[in-house]
Amino acid sequence: MIPSHLAFLLLSLPLATAGLIAVCLRRQGAVAAALSVATAVGILAGAAWLALGDFRFEASREWLSIAGLRVSFGFNFNDLAALMLAIVAVVGLCVHVFSLGYMRDDPARARYFAGLSIFMFSMIGVVLADNLFMMFIFWELVGFSSWLLINHWFERPAPAAASKKAFIVNRVGDFGFLLGIIMCYHSNGTVNLSDLAVQASAGTAVYSRAIPLLLFCGAIGKSAQVPLHVWLPDAMEGPTPVSALIHAATMVAAGIYMLCRVEMLMVHEALLVIAAVGTATALYAAFCAVVQRDIKRVLAYSTLSQLGYMVAAFGLGSIGGVDENGRALVIGAGVGAAMFHLTTHAAFKALLFLCSGSVIYGCHHEQDIFKMGGLAGRMKLTFVVFTIGVAAIIGMPFFAGFFSKDAILALAFTRNKAVFAALAFTAVLTALYMVRLWRLVFFGAPRSEAASHAHEGGFTLAAPLVVLAVFSVFGGYLSLYPHAFHGVLGNVPEAAGAAHAIVFATSLSVLILGAGAAIAFYKPAATDALEQGMPAVFAGLVALQESFDAFYTWYVDKVQQRLAMVLNFIDVVGIAGLVVRGTAGVAGLAGLGARALHTGRISTYVYWFLAGVAVLWLFATGVL
Amino acid sequence: MNSLIFPETLNAYVGLSAVLFAIGFLGVLVRRNTLVIYMCLELMLVASTLAFVAFSRFNGTMDGNVFVFFILTVAAAEVAVGLAIIVALFRLRQTVQVDRLDALKH
Repeated sequence: MIPSHLAFLLLSLPLATAGLIAVCLRRQGAVAAALSVATAVGILAGAAWLALGDFRFEASREWLSIAGLRVSFGFNFNDLAALMLAIVAVVGLCVHVFSLGYMRDDPARARYFAGLSIFMFSMIGVVLADNLFMMFIFWELVGFSSWLLINHWFERPAPAAASKKAFIVNRVGDFGFLLGIIMCYHSNGTVNLSDLAVQASAGTAVYSRAIPLLLFCGAIGKSAQVPLHVWLPDAMEGPTPVSALIHAATMVAAGIYMLCRVEMLMVHEALLVIAAVGTATALYAAFCAVVQRDIKRVLAYSTLSQLGYMVAAFGLGSIGGVDENGRALVIGAGVGAAMFHLTTHAAFKALLFLCSGSVIYGCHHEQDIFKMGGLAGRMKLTFVVFTIGVAAIIGMPFFAGFFSKDAILALAFTRNKAVFAALAFTAVLTALYMVRLWRLVFFGAPRSEAASHAHEGGFTLAAPLVVLAVFSVFGGYLSLYPHAFHGVLGNVPEAAGAAHAIVFATSLSVLILGAGAAIAFYKPAATDALEQGMPAVFAGLVALQESFDAFYTWYVDKVQQRLAMVLNFIDVVGIAGLVVRGTAGVAGLAGLGARALHTGRISTYVYWFLAGVAVLWLFATGVL
Repeated sequence: MNSLIFPETLNAYVGLSAVLFAIGFLGVLVRRNTLVIYMCLELMLVASTLAFVAFSRFNGTMDGNVFVFFILTVAAAEVAVGLAIIVALFRLRQTVQVDRLDALKH
């Protein structure tokens, strides 16, 4: 089979599944679930064949051509796309299988699986897209799928509001993204990624600070960087497998993937801004995660923090590296570090979310960690894999996260010491809040009725956990990856010599510091030790967390709402009232006037006849 | 003495015809009874007949006199048809007062 045709099949299979479920299978939840899982298996098979079979291709068909604007639909399958496709396929299948068990009692199961299929379609479209317009279309589709899935339990007000918030905040970022695409098209005449790469290497591309920064706006929205991060914690209202797939492993990684795809357009100043935003996000989110009660919110802020790491890694890739023309050097190291961390993060974050799903399921939908406890004995498998996930994220040596975080810290150490210091401190906080979570959920005595009756969820909940745990353990060893991904993972930076020792020592010390502090400070208890012991600090962190939401609420209420009222007034009174109804009114008045002439009395008509004769006479004699 | 009181010029006869026509027209405008309006229409026709005869007399030709027959014929036919319409209207509406015949009013 021709690879591009297989790629098209991979793209259209989940769309067909979703369409079929939407049309015929609304009530048959089990059939819909089976169909969706089968599609996920098919996607994994196809992705594996494409990626490992060393097929690299580009295929394109012109789709829209209007007066000089050309939008084409095509696939660009290089090592980067192969890696991302593999991640999406593997994590997607794990989440699909997990959802079989997690959502088995949900009455709207069919709609859920249709949503998952639509998401797979959109995400594969983003991964395979060969030009920015097509990527933007699928970008918006991914946002729509996210809305649909967060909104799964739409009868409750919280998910409905959260899904709206996610979509609107994403839209704000997408506005910048679209402006960037338009500017790129206007400056370079093309938005095709390989054409841009050719232009960049030939030196004919137009470099401006605006284009990469505007494109980065899309990543700020989609990958939830500060200041557009506010939607991700709220998005936890969706079902946990959705949080695992979309808001941990794949959709939020799409922003970083997009940055890597457009790396040929980057300039030095833009990379500085990107690194700054990433670092700020990592630090901010880590602070917020320390004070969360909900197990999924801790993981959400943790995701935000790790995404900040990835974005910072990308931004660091070329700071200081300038060639003889003054142009930023191709940032292979940044792409490598970011994608490596993206890969390992997808594995261990999906694992952590699915474990939290298992815990939530076992505790009968209890999500407050202060009402859990003692689960280590009751849910042994979940405990073991969760521990593996925690070890991976905090950077325990030999686990996946250690190697990828090490790569980022090594890059930061050689490029920008301030970012290195910030990221190292963030690692301390990461260890702190993750070990806090681990302790409070699994240790001590059960602190609620539900926790004392916790149980495992069955095979479909357990199998994906094991698979992802294996990836979390072995995912850090680059030599284990197929050669197919060498184009990306071959660029992962490694520190050399003295720097290597310093970075290694830093990694170990932040791990010990954070974990030790958590173990010492947070005993399994029904209340937050920080809230009890240092209430000022706790209140400060909570205020920090809520500051962005408070500002946005103020802005929407005071500024935007007033502007909306003014526009509403103009619309209702001016446009609908004066112009539309006014025109109708004038026509009506004219009609009334004309109607008044028809009196029905013959004498009136005779007078009109006389008037007509007089006018004719005036015409005839030349007066008029 | 006759010629002092009744000047025998064309203008006098044409003037008389104009006055008769104006009276007839005013009657059509103002009177409310349909039959009276009809009579005024006839008056207008007769006024134009008088003008024709006066021109014929003072120009010494026979054309005007001959045309009178045409006018009278047309008037007779018109009256026949018109009176039939008025009778039918009276049967339908039980009135010939023009200000009560306003069924076509908006």
